Amino acid sequence: MAVQPSRSDRRELVRERAFTAAGLTAAVALVTTILLFLVQLFITSRASRAAFGLPFLWRSEWNPVTEQFGALPMIIGTLITGFGALLISTPFALGIAIFLADYAGKKAAEPVKYLIGLLGGLPSVIFGLWGLFVLVPIVSRFEVWFGKLVGSEALVSSGTTGVGLLAAILLLAIMILPFSASLILESLLVVPMELKEGALALGATKWDTIQNVELPYVRRSTVGALVLSLGRALGETMAVTMVIGNGMRLPHSLFDPANTLASAIANQFLEATSPVYVASLVQLALILFVIAIVINIAARVILRRGVLQ
Amino acid sequence: MKNHSGLSVVVVGLLAIALALSGCSSGNQPSAVTSLSGAGATFPYPLYSKMFDTYDGVTGVRVNYNSIGSGGGIKALTDKTVDFGASDAFLNDQEEAAMGAPVLHIPTCVGAVVLSYNLDGSPSLKLDGSVTANIFLGTVTKWNDPSIAKLNPGVSLPDLAITVVHRSDGSGTTSIFTSYLAAVSTAWKTAVGAGKSVSWPAGVGGKGNDGVAGMISQTKGGIGYIELVYAEQSNMPFASLKNASGRFVAPSLASSAAAAAVSLPDDLRVVIVDSPAADAYAVSAFTWILVYKEQNYAGRTLGQAQALKKLLIWMLTDGQAINEGLSYARLPAIAVTKALALVDSMTYGGTTIP
Repeated sequence: MAVQPSRSDRRELVRERAFTAAGLTAAVALVTTILLFLVQLFITSRASRAAFGLPFLWRSEWNPVTEQFGALPMIIGTLITGFGALLISTPFALGIAIFLADYAGKKAAEPVKYLIGLLGGLPSVIFGLWGLFVLVPIVSRFEVWFGKLVGSEALVSSGTTGVGLLAAILLLAIMILPFSASLILESLLVVPMELKEGALALGATKWDTIQNVELPYVRRSTVGALVLSLGRALGETMAVTMVIGNGMRLPHSLFDPANTLASAIANQFLEATSPVYVASLVQLALILFVIAIVINIAARVILRRGVLQ
Repeated sequence: MKNHSGLSVVVVGLLAIALALSGCSSGNQPSAVTSLSGAGATFPYPLYSKMFDTYDGVTGVRVNYNSIGSGGGIKALTDKTVDFGASDAFLNDQEEAAMGAPVLHIPTCVGAVVLSYNLDGSPSLKLDGSVTANIFLGTVTKWNDPSIAKLNPGVSLPDLAITVVHRSDGSGTTSIFTSYLAAVSTAWKTAVGAGKSVSWPAGVGGKGNDGVAGMISQTKGGIGYIELVYAEQSNMPFASLKNASGRFVAPSLASSAAAAAVSLPDDLRVVIVDSPAADAYAVSAFTWILVYKEQNYAGRTLGQAQALKKLLIWMLTDGQAINEGLSYARLPAIAVTKALALVDSMTYGGTTIP
């Protein structure tokens, strides 16, 4: 059926092509930018690799005066705060999501969902300020109480500031909570009604249904959501800087000041002048970049398998 | 389809704008020099912005200053993207070598770093170099330590842990303070040293003067170092320090200016901490503007070199009147004379700039 394309059809075709070309350009530009990031980080950090090599990853000295650098304290700080925050926020995220999906009526759920979204969009410096003025003094009191409880004189005397790993973990847990809660909620909302109704029809209680039908159904997407939240926690800079104490040594307890990769870079990059110092900071960025990529790929893989299932 | 075509127009439009912007970002300098650009230290930023604003009013020459940090300023000057850089620490030999050409250090004001603390009743404390170093080394850990008590007869010091607060970000303030500690304590010099960031043996870090000040005011028993300007503005108590001639001197504009009124080397690349002057506050330092000695580089015109020279001369003379109103100490006469000689030594194509 050979129909001569009309004028408007042809115009449509041209538009279609222009749009495809523009879209493709944008997509290629984005991917190229990310690759260039990586290449740039790799090139600018050369001096650091030349000076320290692979041991940079497990050296724990960070001394700009003698120009001896190692990333271990920051890698440890990043992982502990990230996973610690995830550990604390996950039960709450699950609870909030399940409550909103199955227990709260629509009238109650909508405003709460809105507030969660709002919390998720709050600039991190605001969380940081709140952390410094509200959370840190609470942690400080807890620290003294805990120190007395276990009879540690060192903890009681050193534990008066409240800034440190624990404060950072708690603050990050609060910051990623809206993110993971809303992602889990989204996946709970797409559990097919038939499955839930089927379970209820078989005499299952609401809790049975959640436990045996809904949660297994969203298991993978939940893991994906949590991994994405973890990625956010690992890269958070401003709020962490304000409460973690910025110690460049290996922390020995949860109350010690520590630092994360992102926070160390943000703190020191502006005034870093010697080539090896700058290169070492860029090397930290490269490490963070790799950690972030690995975690995001893991999340994608888990999420895709979740969809296929 | 309607949707798609609308979207495509937007996307194509945005791309076009992006391309156009990237195409015309490299503008040329106008032939008559009406603007200069600089970048660097954040510490003198309030002073510079007021100075440059006044200068614009007086001469019609606009000076754009980006307070991106000393490191960024040094890098920008090395890359020759600005007319001058600004730094709170003078260039070390390695950095100077990276510049590829001789660089002049022109001081613009004297800054003081003070020790601020949080103790009930805010007693005014006296400290000396070795006690301060020991506090920051983490070897003096209690406020009622005999070494502190000895310097402060009549002050009742609590049995309270000392919480050291330092800067977490690299800063000229840290450089000045650690230079002082290294000058007065060999233990500090060997264990830690001096620099814009150091490996702190004790304490917690706060970002910026406000971060440190905030942490001190939240922590009973906290002690940390902040700029004099900042301490005065936020009404925090600060300690008098024993200077090189054995007197306890409180930080002030007069006492920090006094620290610079000593015999200075001709290139003014000098740390004036632990100054021998009798009335000097011990933790004082210059902040510098950095310019290339030979101004004929990277296609610069004689006009640009002249404009820069005029600006520097103004900052060292008329501009100094602005310093004290903003809590920066004026340069003492001896420093101004030497700085003007440095400015005069700038050349264009090997000859003095007219």
